Amino acid sequence: MSVIQTENLTKIFRVPQKDAGVRGAVKALFQPRYKDVTAVDGVTFSVEKGEVVGYIGLNGAGKSTTIKMLTGILVPSSGQVRVLGRDPHRERVANARQIGVVFGQRTQLWWDLALIESLNTIAKIYEMDPQRYDQLLEQFVDLLDLKDLLKVPVRNMSLGQKMRAELAATLIHEPEVVYLDEPTIGLDLIVKERMRAFIKQQNRETGTTVVLTTHDLGDIEELCQRVIIIDEGKLIYDGPLSAIKERFGKYRQITFEMARDLDGVDLPAGAEIVTQDGRSLVLRFDRTQTTASRVAAAVMEQFNVVDFSLAEPDLSMIVKQIYQGALHPEAV
Amino acid sequence: MAVLRRTARAYGAMMAMVPKLFMAYQIWVWMQFIVQIISLVILVSFWSAVYAGESSLSGLTLAQTLNYIILAQIFAPSTDTNMVFELGYMVRSGQIGMRLIQPLDLQLALYVQKVSEIALAFVFNLPLALIGWLLFRYHVPADPLVWLAFLVSLLIGNALLFCFDWILACASFYSTEVWGMGMLRYGVALFFSGALVPLAMMPGWLRTISTILPFSQALYTPVSLLSGITPLSGMPRIWLAQLAALVALGALSRFTFSRAVRQVTVQGG
Ligand SMILES: Nc1ncnc2c1ncn2[C@@H]1O[C@H](COP(=O)(O)OP(=O)(O)OP(=O)(O)O)[C@@H](O)[C@H]1O
Ligand SMILES: [Mg+2]
Repeated sequence: MSVIQTENLTKIFRVPQKDAGVRGAVKALFQPRYKDVTAVDGVTFSVEKGEVVGYIGLNGAGKSTTIKMLTGILVPSSGQVRVLGRDPHRERVANARQIGVVFGQRTQLWWDLALIESLNTIAKIYEMDPQRYDQLLEQFVDLLDLKDLLKVPVRNMSLGQKMRAELAATLIHEPEVVYLDEPTIGLDLIVKERMRAFIKQQNRETGTTVVLTTHDLGDIEELCQRVIIIDEGKLIYDGPLSAIKERFGKYRQITFEMARDLDGVDLPAGAEIVTQDGRSLVLRFDRTQTTASRVAAAVMEQFNVVDFSLAEPDLSMIVKQIYQGALHPEAV
Repeated sequence: MAVLRRTARAYGAMMAMVPKLFMAYQIWVWMQFIVQIISLVILVSFWSAVYAGESSLSGLTLAQTLNYIILAQIFAPSTDTNMVFELGYMVRSGQIGMRLIQPLDLQLALYVQKVSEIALAFVFNLPLALIGWLLFRYHVPADPLVWLAFLVSLLIGNALLFCFDWILACASFYSTEVWGMGMLRYGVALFFSGALVPLAMMPGWLRTISTILPFSQALYTPVSLLSGITPLSGMPRIWLAQLAALVALGALSRFTFSRAVRQVTVQGG
């Protein structure tokens, strides 16, 4: 049985439209106008126990909205969600007991209280066995380096400290499913590494299922075997990370700097323009059809090239291509 | 049984957070204390002036009225649930999301939190009670039965007011602009709860409104017993009425919340 199952999951927000000024406010009072915003549009996927799934997409693609529906705090406009066999909204409390959530921009800790007070309270509201709690607390303090933070109120913590505390609070009650909405937002490399290692270890040792949204593809590369990509609310890719790498990995990218502005350019078969902007030209070519030297030679024959560079396809390049429409049927 | 104990522990933990949070704002607690003393002195002078030599108004002597007013001031926090503001703020800021991911019934969790806050407010009113006594020598009953009856009535009355406020607060799920309603609720409560005027002194029609509105249940009804305006013998009937109101408002508030929470839009993120 899948841990998470969604079918045609859709969320439409009704956003009140207001004109500016007092007149606008009065008008809105008597004649409210609404605009429908489809944040999530017919998304279907399922996640198996123990998977770590990256849920990615551009700003406003609908990632957070999906997570909110999965956690049961938002009700879908249509479609189905089931988490551990339950409707997470209808059975919110039962669902909540088995999940953990990090919303990168918020905190579940008590702002004014020392971290240890928050953790103790969380252990009680999740009805943890006190011995188990003590044991995990010790372990988490060690792994997330929380020793010096236990007595510090959350409001006095730096972002990186707060996120480590947040992660401890989310995982200490041993949830079966964890949703992490941008858990590494704004963190330095060291803290990111530490968080990733911790998530990885928790997943490996306890089989916790993880759904992760992020704009940092390093998170994805480190943690996820599978990615789901959404764009304007619609699912555009769902599959192994390795498959998109393979599919787009046969491409290389060359960037040229020209001496003059350029207009048209003739390219050998297998090469195509990614972007063309004034004096800079970015090309992509298929390694199975042509070579870097052939493409470079063709361009240099036509233009006075000042500089050029060849890039290996890393994940961010691939994802950029996908966001720019590389997965649309006409582009394949 | 074990389930019940664990549940009690979970909600008990929420309750135990309140004093800790309270201490974080200590200085304001003391500022408020000064304001309360001043209010008390003003109210006592006001009522003494109203009597101006009359031995009784609406069947109450000056001593009885002052006794009532001082006790009502001490127990006034019973009507301050602030639910409209608090839930309204949670929804506006999106913090509601963090509450809804807790494995707790939100209404029950906030109720125990309120009870704890109000109990704490009573404790913080102890100096007020002491100074009030030094200044004005009010009377409290010696009979422990009266105290017990008072406490039961206070608890039921506060619970039914909480349910009423919860229904109002549910409007936050439909509109982000509930602040005005919260202010209105506050003003109406101040007058109709009996914090300033004993209901017995109100003209008949005002008194009827006060009795129908739930605010007086959380203050006037219990305090009138404590101050001797209502005799102990009248209590069983009053409890029954309070219980009936509690059951009705309790059911209605559960229903309203279960509908309203489906509307929630968790802002931000
Ligand atoms: N409470 C709300 N009311 C109205 N519209 C909303 C609300 N929440 C989100 N939206 C809209 O829904 C769309 C998806 O938002 P969402 O927060 O899910 O995006 P996201 O993928 O998480 O983006 P980001 O990467 O910026 O966090 C956006 O167009 C947003 O404006
Ligand atoms: Mg988001």
